[in-house]
Amino acid sequence: MSHAEGPDHRKLLNWDELVIGEQLPTLDYVLTQEMMDEFRLGVMDPEAAFPTISQKVDVRPYHLVYRDDGSVNARCSFHFYNPPVAGKRIVVHAWIADKYARRGKNYIVTEAVSVDEDGRLLDRVITHELKQPSEVGKKWQ
Amino acid sequence: MAINKRMYKIGDELAPLTKHMTQEAINHFESSGGAKGPSQFTDVETARSTLGTKGTVASGRMSLTFTTELLRRFFGAEIYNRGGTVDMRFLRPVRPGDSVTFSGKITGMSKEANGCRVTVEVTGTNQKGDTTAVGGGSCLVPSGYLPAEE
Repeated sequence: MSHAEGPDHRKLLNWDELVIGEQLPTLDYVLTQEMMDEFRLGVMDPEAAFPTISQKVDVRPYHLVYRDDGSVNARCSFHFYNPPVAGKRIVVHAWIADKYARRGKNYIVTEAVSVDEDGRLLDRVITHELKQPSEVGKKWQ
Repeated sequence: MAINKRMYKIGDELAPLTKHMTQEAINHFESSGGAKGPSQFTDVETARSTLGTKGTVASGRMSLTFTTELLRRFFGAEIYNRGGTVDMRFLRPVRPGDSVTFSGKITGMSKEANGCRVTVEVTGTNQKGDTTAVGGGSCLVPSGYLPAEE
């Protein structure tokens, strides 16, 4: 994920030292009608109700703290509670939910919960990211 | 408003959903999430340097969203958007030009305090017959949407 220009003060990921349960910075943003419309164009579904999926709100807070060699999304899950409403501010709480090694590859699991300005619980997302992206790239030729 | 009551049973199949992936769709998806710079999803050179692939790939979250659409069409937005889940593992890349079909069937049903949790298994398959994603989802169907018990 790209980072704003200027000195990069983020920590280089040390997978061994990453603490399960670490709270990540809180995000907040306003979901605009334009975001919703563009999301629906992207997924070719005019009724798609959760543009929060493309916001990647669990991995974005991770990237505010850590830098690494990139990642590949290995698994992702969502729990849907209430569709977000355009124009509302959304607050996201995210954390490191787990980490594991499988077949010599390291994975990080991030989790986040989104709540809108009226206190409505919107969704919960859990993502498993492989932190050696070139490993899968070799298989994907 | 009248409620359309519906029966579910294990083995019921969902109507398949096919999506034709384009770079334009990928770009819209990434842009909608605020990712405006080059990435492995939108830029061939970045994909080469990060993944070692010849071209861009679609985010797994696009396949996740397609699965969400499959499940929402099956259960109905009024209940899936307020009690649904989706959980997918991404096995192979989906690239611009690919057509991926998502299909599923009911594999489980369990009573909960406020309804019945219906569980569905889902597979994504590309135009070559390769499995690109596996997983599924579930939906808590409120009792009011189910036929009365005998």
